[in-house]
Amino acid sequence: MGPPRLKIAHYTLVSALGRGLNETFATLYSGRSGLQAYTTVGGLVCDVGRVSGVEDVGIPQSLSRYGCRNNLLAALALETDGFAGTVSELVQKVGAHRIGVVVGTSTSGIAVTEAAYRDPFFGNSGVLPVSFPYRETHNVFSCADFTRRYLGLTGPAFVISTACSSSAKAFATAARLIHSGICRAVVVGGVDSLCDTTLYGFQSLGLLSRTRTQPFGAGRDGISIGEAAGFAILAAPGVLEEAYGMMLAGIGDSADAYHMTAPHPQGLGAWEAMSAALAAAHRAPRDLDYIHLHGTGTIHNDAAEDLAILKLGCQETPVSSTKGATGHTLGAAGACAVAIVGLAMSEGFIPGTVNTEVRDPALQSALVLEGHRATVRCALINTFGFGGSNCSLVLEACP
Amino acid sequence: MSCFIAGLGVLAPGLNSGSHALRVLRGDEPYVRLDARIPMVAGLAANEMRRCPTTARYALDVGQQALAEAGWEAPRVATVFSSGSGDLEILDKNCRALIQEPIAVSPILFHNSVHNAVAGYWGIAMGSRAPSTSLSVYEDSFAAGLLEALMMASLGSPCLLVVYDTLPPAALAPVRKVTAPFAVALAVCQERPAKACTRIDWAWGPRDSEELVLDRPALEALRTSNPAARSLPLLQAMARRQAARVVLPYLAEGQLLLDVCPLPAGAATD
Repeated sequence: MGPPRLKIAHYTLVSALGRGLNETFATLYSGRSGLQAYTTVGGLVCDVGRVSGVEDVGIPQSLSRYGCRNNLLAALALETDGFAGTVSELVQKVGAHRIGVVVGTSTSGIAVTEAAYRDPFFGNSGVLPVSFPYRETHNVFSCADFTRRYLGLTGPAFVISTACSSSAKAFATAARLIHSGICRAVVVGGVDSLCDTTLYGFQSLGLLSRTRTQPFGAGRDGISIGEAAGFAILAAPGVLEEAYGMMLAGIGDSADAYHMTAPHPQGLGAWEAMSAALAAAHRAPRDLDYIHLHGTGTIHNDAAEDLAILKLGCQETPVSSTKGATGHTLGAAGACAVAIVGLAMSEGFIPGTVNTEVRDPALQSALVLEGHRATVRCALINTFGFGGSNCSLVLEACP
Repeated sequence: MSCFIAGLGVLAPGLNSGSHALRVLRGDEPYVRLDARIPMVAGLAANEMRRCPTTARYALDVGQQALAEAGWEAPRVATVFSSGSGDLEILDKNCRALIQEPIAVSPILFHNSVHNAVAGYWGIAMGSRAPSTSLSVYEDSFAAGLLEALMMASLGSPCLLVVYDTLPPAALAPVRKVTAPFAVALAVCQERPAKACTRIDWAWGPRDSEELVLDRPALEALRTSNPAARSLPLLQAMARRQAARVVLPYLAEGQLLLDVCPLPAGAATD
C-alpha cells in the first residue's frame, strides 16, 4: 500500500510556447514550434526556445540582488495564471510555515557569473568583486530562495538539481514533505534559463542539433535548448479541493549506474523508473492513455527510451515529445511536462511531436506526430538526466 | 518521528574518518587541524577515476565509510547528496573557457559541472541503480540533506546521506566563504540495527531555539567553515554516548530539532 495520491491543485508554465496555460495550449494545438534562431555573444548560432520579455519583469526592491534572468523568469511564471494569488490564499488558510518550496534547476543563474568573467574587473584582477551577488543569483539554491521570499513562504525549501530530471524529482521531495506531515502544501517548480555553459557544453559533447531538434525523427542530430519556468501546488488531501488540476499518483526514480552522459543502451534505468512509478500508482502499463516522452532528439537517448517503453509493454500507448516545440528546458523539463499533461487532460488533446516529420523507422513506440483530440485520464512523464538520473511520474485526471 | 544512524563517514582537516571524528569529538584525542588526507575512492574504472572531480572523491570516500560501517549493500541503498555550492573548481574552468577564443568547453568538465555529477560517479562506482537525489540549501545544506534523508527513511527507504563542499578557487573565494573542505556521510534507516547505533527523534518546525555551537574554538571554527561541517554538533552528540538535543537552523525561519540517543548493540527496540 503506497502513500495516498496528492493533488496538483494549480499549475502554470512560461516557455517558448507562450506565457500561461492558454497561450501554451493554443501554440501546442496549432502544432507550431516556439524555437527560433539565436546567436550567443561568442557567435554560436543555433535554434533555442527563448522566452521574450524576461528582461522587463519587475521584482520588489527588497529582492533586487536576486534579479538575474533565471529569477526574473521564475517571477514571470509566479505572476501568470493567478499562481501567486492562489498561494496567498493558501497562506491564509494553512499558514506560511506549512507551505514548502521545492524547485528544480540545473544551472540556476550561472549566466550572471559567465558575464562577470567577461567583465574588465575580472580581466584585471582575476577574481570576482566582493559585491558580486553569488548567493542571490548564481548559487544553485538561489531560485528556491527567491521563490520563497517572493511568495512570503517560511516552510522548508530545497533546490533539487539532478540535471534534466530536476523538477520531476522536485515532486518526489515535495510529496515526502506532505507525507511526513511537515507541509500541508508545497510550491513545486522547475526553472532554467539560457546560458552559454549549456549551449557550448552540449555542443562540446556533439549533442546540440545543428538545425532544429527532431525527437524520435529519422534525421535527428541532437537537442535544441529552451528556457522555461513552471510551477505547481502539490497539496495534502483537503487543501485546495475546489481548484482545477490533477493527481500525482506515483513517482519512480532510478540511476543508470552506466555512464555520465550516455544513457544505458537498453534503457534499463529508464525502464526501472517507469515501472516504479506505475507500481507506486498501482497502475498497469495498459492503464496509460499517453506517455510524455523525455524525447530530447539525440540519437542514443531516444533509442534507449524507445527500448524502455517496449520493455514496459507500452508499444501501443500513444507517445510524443514536445521538445521540438519548447526546446529541451533541462531542469525545467519535468515542470513543463506536468503542465502540458495537465492541459492534455483538461482539453482532451494529445500533443504532437512538433518538428519531427519522418519518424525513425528503427523506433517502435506509437509516436504521435500530429496532435489530436483524445481522452487522457492517466499519463506517464519521463525525465532522464546526466549522471544517469531518471525520474518518471504517473498523473491522473481528477475523478 | 524516529530514525537510526547505522554508519558514519567523515573527511575534513584533522578528521580522517567517522570513527576518528567521534574520538576527537568525545575528547579522547586532541583536535589537530592538519590538511585533510587524500580521499580514497574504490570501484571506478581507470577512465572514470581520471575524470572523477575532487567533490566526488570526497563524497565517495565518506559514503563508502558509512556504508561499510552500516554493513549495507550499495546497490540497494537510496542516496541523498547535498552540497552548498557544488564544484566551483569546475565552474571556474568552464567560465574561463567561455572567455577564450575560440570557445572550447571541455565535454568532461561540462558533464562534471552538473550538481548531480557526484551522484553519477557514486552510481557507477557502486553499481547502484537505487533512487537518488541531489539538492542544495546553500549554508543549510546539511540540515536540508538530513531532512530529506530522515523523510526517506521514515517513509521506509534506508538511505545514505552524503554532504560535501570543497574549497573555492581563488577567483570565487571573495564571493563564497568556504574555508575548509568537509564531507560527511550518514547511513539512515527506520529499523533499529542490531549493532550499536544512534536513535534520532526528529521534527521540523519554526525556529524557536538557539543554534548549538561547539565549546572548543578550533572545532567551532571548523563548524562555520563549510556547510557540511554544520554536522559537527550532531556528531558530537553521537560521540558522547548520552542523550542530547541538537538544533540545526533551516533558513532564517525554520529548524530541524534532533533528540539524539546513542544506543548499545543488541538491545531490543524500546
